[in-house]
Amino acid sequence: MIDMNKKWARFATYAVGLLIGAGMWQYFGARGNQLASASLTETFSRFIRLIENGELPTAVANSMQLYVAGFSAAIIAASALGLLMSRIRFLRVGIENYVMLLYATPMVAVVPFISSLLGPFFMAKFVVVFLFGFFPVLYNTLEGGRSLRPELVEVATSFRSGEMALWRDLLIPYTLPFILTGVRQGAGRALVGVVASEFLVSSSGMGGMIRYYDGNYIIEGVFATVIVLTAIGVLLMWLGRLLEDRFAAWRGLNR
Amino acid sequence: MSDAGSAAGSGSVEGTPRIAAKAVGKRFGDLQVFKDINMTIGEREIVTVVGPSGCGKTTLLRCVNGLLPVSEGEIQIEGTPVTRPRQGVAMVFQNFGLFPWKTVLSNVSYGLKLDGCPKEDLRDRSMEKIKLVGLEGFENSYPYQLSGGMQQRCGLARALAVEPSVLLMDEPFAAIDAQTREILQFELLRIWEMRPTSMMFVTHSIEEAVLMGHRVVVLKGRPSSVFETVEVDLPEPRGRETLSHPQFNELREHVWANLMDEVRAAEFEVN
Repeated sequence: MIDMNKKWARFATYAVGLLIGAGMWQYFGARGNQLASASLTETFSRFIRLIENGELPTAVANSMQLYVAGFSAAIIAASALGLLMSRIRFLRVGIENYVMLLYATPMVAVVPFISSLLGPFFMAKFVVVFLFGFFPVLYNTLEGGRSLRPELVEVATSFRSGEMALWRDLLIPYTLPFILTGVRQGAGRALVGVVASEFLVSSSGMGGMIRYYDGNYIIEGVFATVIVLTAIGVLLMWLGRLLEDRFAAWRGLNR
Repeated sequence: MSDAGSAAGSGSVEGTPRIAAKAVGKRFGDLQVFKDINMTIGEREIVTVVGPSGCGKTTLLRCVNGLLPVSEGEIQIEGTPVTRPRQGVAMVFQNFGLFPWKTVLSNVSYGLKLDGCPKEDLRDRSMEKIKLVGLEGFENSYPYQLSGGMQQRCGLARALAVEPSVLLMDEPFAAIDAQTREILQFELLRIWEMRPTSMMFVTHSIEEAVLMGHRVVVLKGRPSSVFETVEVDLPEPRGRETLSHPQFNELREHVWANLMDEVRAAEFEVN
């Protein structure tokens, strides 16, 4: 048995796993149906070409613009609404069921509807990304805000805090880690929203590239784009975890 | 320190008491918690309120703070009726009520900040109280890094920071282990001697009530009301030696005898 507690042993296992994966990709990619597969080396050389001719960087910039616009709007709107709902009872009782329903709905199902409602324009894509990112943030903010202990609210009242100061001193700092959990969950979903809208609303960005190369049986072009999406997804997850840990130090150790 | 003792006694004799409850009652819907409560607390006096669990002593304290409205009668602080929490009244909470995302320093300066204390004074004034309660060196710690006793020291410093003329203690040491509780009781007495205020101290511990109070208000009955007010004439300042004073034992047994039948009844009610 290899001792997995040794650093070098873990690293070696890691490397062997990657090598086997790369080898299998190369072997099956080269021998498979040329209209439905591409080898590692083919994908890599296509990747270099797509960067050199500027197609991939342009598409990434395009998609990320959509992502940042839609998701940041979603974060702001969802956390504001979530905080309001956690403090105003009738708002919570009135809207809560819709939030649960929409949180559970696979958002991709409503993309065609939004597309036909708003036309094949940026606005429709923006709304799609917004909706993908909105509900995880709202759900988590609401769950956080309402779990604020009543004793702490009583302390604030006892020290004559107004509602504004209560938000500043209690509600927002307490809810922030919950909001960030929502942001981390929403980050991945919003990326799905970007690709879905580029598939289904109108062709553009990385989603557009995938559609184009797939339609023309240039599978290495599809793979090269997907790898970039994977990298972005991993980066976002890492960033989300970092943010969450940074602001949730007191929460993790307190429970 | 004997003058501190006489000053404490004089509070109840002076013109207007700092806290006055006049025929106060509280109902939650159909449930009458307490009724017809009359008491006064002088400006340099510690009055403890003792009674069995569920007798409404904490509810009474919340009414004095203005966190809850009374159903009958009136509570006055410095002659004006209490309708909401007011400046100069600070509470120490049973479960400390510290904000876990704030350091000791920010927790202590919380009330000062709300009172509009200028930024440049905030730190100095908070640090002064942190030193007073013996938390120096821990000002940048978070509550989860502190023991229960230290957390309540922080809660006490937060209340003292606003320089209150009325200090409300809601079973402040109930959630703390026995040895630490004893230390904190004497600490609180020491701090009070340095800076006497009007203090209302709610507890279910008879021993604590007799040790801390210049007078002990015994609540009893359902709904509860004041069964008796016991004058505690123990020598001041009080300390560990007070616990072995013959009069201390006498008073403790007296209060205990009065409450025992009630506690028994409550026990059988549950069964």
